[in-house]
Amino acid sequence: MNVTAKVVSFTQDLRERNVKVMLMAMIIAVATVATINAFADHLQRTLMTSANAFLAADRQLNSRTNAPIPEAWYAEAEKRGLKVGRMVEFGTMVSNESQFQLVAVKAVDNAYPLRGEIEWQADLDSTRQIGSKGPGPGEVWLNPRLMRLLNLRPGDALEVGSTSLEVTGVIMREPDGGFRLSNLAPRVMMHVDDVAATEVIQPGSRVRHRGLFAGDEATLHDFEIWLEPQLADNYRWVDVRQGETLGESLDKAEGFLLLGGSLAVLLAVVAIAVASRQYALSQRDRVALLKTMGLTGSRIRRLYLSRLIWWGAIATLLGLMLAIPAAWFLASMTARLMEQPLHFEVDFWQLWPAVLTALVALFAFAYPPIDRLRNTPAMRVFRSLPTNNKAALFKDLLLASVVIFALLWIYVSDIVLVMALLGAVMALVISLAIAGGGLIWGLRRLPAGKGSWRLAVIALYLHRNATLSQMSVFAMTIMLAATLVLVRSSLLADWQAQLPEDAPNHFLLNIAPESVDQVEAFFTDNELNRSPLYPIIRGRLTEINGQPAEEVALNKDDDELRRELNLTISDSYPEDNQIVDGQWFATGDTSGLSIEQSLAESLGVKIGDELGFTVGAEKVTAAITSIRSVQWDSMRPNFFIIFPPNGAIDGLPSTSLTSFYLAEQDKTLLNDFVRQFPTISVLEIDHIIERIQQIIRQVTQAVEAILVMILLAAIAVMVAVVSATMSERQREGALLRTLGSQQRLLVRATIIEFALIGFLAGILGVLTAEIAVWALQYRMFEGEFHWHWPVVISLPFASACILALLGRWQLTPVLTVSPMLLLRKLE
Amino acid sequence: MSTDRQRNPLNDFMIKVENLSHSVDLGTDKLSILQQVNLDIRKGESAAIVGRSGSGKTTLLGLLAGLDIPSSGTVSMNGHLISALSEDERASLRSQRVGFVFQSFQLLPALTAIENVMLPIELAGLSDAKSKAEALLQRVGLGDRMQHTPRQLSGGEQQRVAIARAFAVEPQVLFADEPTGNLDTRTGEAITELLMTLNREQGTTLVMVTHDQQLAERCQRHFVIEAGVLHEKTDNTTEVLSA
Ligand SMILES: Nc1ncnc2c1ncn2[C@@H]1O[C@H](COP(=O)(O)OP(=O)(O)OP(=O)(O)O)[C@@H](O)[C@H]1O
Ligand SMILES: [Mg+2]
Repeated sequence: MNVTAKVVSFTQDLRERNVKVMLMAMIIAVATVATINAFADHLQRTLMTSANAFLAADRQLNSRTNAPIPEAWYAEAEKRGLKVGRMVEFGTMVSNESQFQLVAVKAVDNAYPLRGEIEWQADLDSTRQIGSKGPGPGEVWLNPRLMRLLNLRPGDALEVGSTSLEVTGVIMREPDGGFRLSNLAPRVMMHVDDVAATEVIQPGSRVRHRGLFAGDEATLHDFEIWLEPQLADNYRWVDVRQGETLGESLDKAEGFLLLGGSLAVLLAVVAIAVASRQYALSQRDRVALLKTMGLTGSRIRRLYLSRLIWWGAIATLLGLMLAIPAAWFLASMTARLMEQPLHFEVDFWQLWPAVLTALVALFAFAYPPIDRLRNTPAMRVFRSLPTNNKAALFKDLLLASVVIFALLWIYVSDIVLVMALLGAVMALVISLAIAGGGLIWGLRRLPAGKGSWRLAVIALYLHRNATLSQMSVFAMTIMLAATLVLVRSSLLADWQAQLPEDAPNHFLLNIAPESVDQVEAFFTDNELNRSPLYPIIRGRLTEINGQPAEEVALNKDDDELRRELNLTISDSYPEDNQIVDGQWFATGDTSGLSIEQSLAESLGVKIGDELGFTVGAEKVTAAITSIRSVQWDSMRPNFFIIFPPNGAIDGLPSTSLTSFYLAEQDKTLLNDFVRQFPTISVLEIDHIIERIQQIIRQVTQAVEAILVMILLAAIAVMVAVVSATMSERQREGALLRTLGSQQRLLVRATIIEFALIGFLAGILGVLTAEIAVWALQYRMFEGEFHWHWPVVISLPFASACILALLGRWQLTPVLTVSPMLLLRKLE
Repeated sequence: MSTDRQRNPLNDFMIKVENLSHSVDLGTDKLSILQQVNLDIRKGESAAIVGRSGSGKTTLLGLLAGLDIPSSGTVSMNGHLISALSEDERASLRSQRVGFVFQSFQLLPALTAIENVMLPIELAGLSDAKSKAEALLQRVGLGDRMQHTPRQLSGGEQQRVAIARAFAVEPQVLFADEPTGNLDTRTGEAITELLMTLNREQGTTLVMVTHDQQLAERCQRHFVIEAGVLHEKTDNTTEVLSA
């Protein structure tokens, strides 16, 4: 047996409260970071797979002109192990011998859809089937309205251009249904191999090719890098993240998870720093004794460093061992919520930030005070000497700040987040210094008071250093936890507002003026609410300032110049639009128009420019009076061009559009509706909305789970810090009891003392949390900042209560054990 | 081993102090603790330092043992000018050569009695730590308490363990700061007896701070310290003998 090793041995260390605290904090830090990483990675994968259905693939490559996608690109993708699919979209006339109809064709191959599912029926009144394949060669699927319009049955032939295809199904939903009201023609789905035979694709015709790609992220990413330089302006590489609603939600959720992780790390390193300082203090006598036995500084360093490395290794291992089941648990919870099978796997490379965190915690926070142990004067065996550590403390603090900054930077790589956190911490340190100074000053001058108050005030003053460091840790803990709670609340509110439960999930298009009243009646009969009716006037943008638009537009190939636009009339703009230039129509305004931002940019037009439209045989012109930003994927009606009431397009032939919410269980109403109004198109987007809501719910769940984890960590840190100074307090309590102090008095004094610390820490913590939230909200989560009064007011009281309880609890042994025993034990 | 005297007279001194003064910085003031101390102790001698509380005894002991360096003057131990050595060099010099006994025992609470005794032997890199420690504990009368931790031992027993630990590396010089200060008279006497006997057996040089007049009388040299100034009591019979 090696006795030297036992002097600072691991099992020995474990009996030390400070070492336990340090280990626990390190385990918490590693476990939280690892859990968040593993879980965020899992979430990313499942959410993306689920969201990717919107593209029917992981990525789409879209042509913006009628140029096809080069076969070499598909070949390269396949060579790299990606799945590919080819898709062509175009508009054409179809006929059933007697009737003609303009349709929107989507021609797909056998691979379609690479992600997501198709819902279809064999006939109008057969049951819905969920499939993973579109129509085969020679086949065609039609949407229900077209079936009725052309009076077709399965087995009938449909003429598409120069070829004839057999109707074999009714297309109910396609995963990449998209949501653009611009295309109001009914859907026809056919096989891509039949496209050539239709002969509809001629030079100059409007055809859009889409390449579908699926595979693992890394390969997709590599492929994108390979592809990028070859993509001219006329191809666009589409990632589902580019969708605003979903992309933003996912980004924010990820930001939140990272924020949570950073806060956990901050909390843990604070605890580690406090505990290691306490540990170092408790080891000084031992080091002095070892020095009298001839141990040199370097041997002392080696002795303690080897311990520290042991602790680090064990804490890291335990942390990782805890993290994997924790992440699995979170994953299975969200899987249950999504009613999806659980595919959980841990990519061990995802865990390196956790290991890095452990190293940083160990060497930047735990090591410095322990390393300074070797400077303990040997004379300490005879008398305890005050050590002047101010300079060293400052150096530690500087090192710690730089290192934690670097760590957060590596971890989050978001300068705003890191700066917001560090700024808030800095503000906290400054206000702590001021408040601490004030507190000490005030305590000395406080009128003596009576009984427990007096005892509490004396205790606060006597332990002013401990009081200040405890208050700092509590304030820091409260600040970090409050930041997270506040950010979470506004994040959730934000998401809720974005897509409320009863967001309209069905659109009605092509409502003829004469059926408006009947539709209205249908809605009242069935107690449905609908959004306002938007009149739709189809017109082409033909002139800019009197010149032909196709010649003078900045981007002469813009799609919107080649087709009819939906023009509408409204006295107010959709909620989620924002005026970026000019003024919205004043009441009574009849002149002017409002244009969408990207279209204005593409055309190269600005406020005051005259736009000319051809609507049927009519020509109308109006000047641009405002430019709007539009959230296209907001699942609400959106328009490129809006005219004021009684404006230029007033009185032109129009149809109407409206949207409404229909619950899943009321879906049968739709059949009645379609039967009653065969010419009105129903656009079902409930599945899209449902899926987005599900994803948001899942992310919310994740956010909540992380929050709970961090709050647990925060409580652990508080308990740790309180118990780190426990032995000294127990000794004092025991002493006071031997001196004849009454238990009741002692209890009350301790409660008052801790409540005061808690209250002050609560105020400082919550105020600096508001600073952090303000900074974060402003940049990262793009919300508006407002004071959170209920939290600001209640938190100091809550923290006072929690700390009073903690104080009371730590006093228990003092009250239950005989003072004699306690004094002996604490010797 | 410590008694293999060489011819060089300088080497006859275990401890030699010349013009030692010590003061500590108290921020604004300087507190002068020791002034112009001169002293030499030969190998194998025993010396007692007595004085009032606060007179500077412990400070002097720490300086003699090389735990600290004086503000001015020199301290040599066994011919090494320790006041000119670095902290680590002094530490290396201490290992194997110096033992300590403290008023408050200073045993490591986590280690058993035998482990406490084995510790300095292991730290010095010597072999047979266990058998040596066992023999020493037998010698101090704690053969049946070897596996007990300090908490399970009385003050007198703890001091015995501390004495065993101090002699464990067969030091050339042993420093003791009021070794009986925390013990009752009877126990104190027993500890004194033990200390003196072991000292004689091992031929160790002994430097001891004490309040205990009886204990002081049993030493060959007898120093008195008053307000930081050291005198030797010359009417000491043993002093006359050794002179
Ligand atoms: N590092 C220091 N800082 C301040 N004062 C010191 C320091 N070291 C010693 N002193 C002071 O020097 C004086 C001598 O101290 P020392 O401990 O040597 O006395 P002592 O003779 O051992 O007393 P006692 O018999 O009570 O142990 C005391 O007044 C002590 O307070
Ligand atoms: Mg003393």
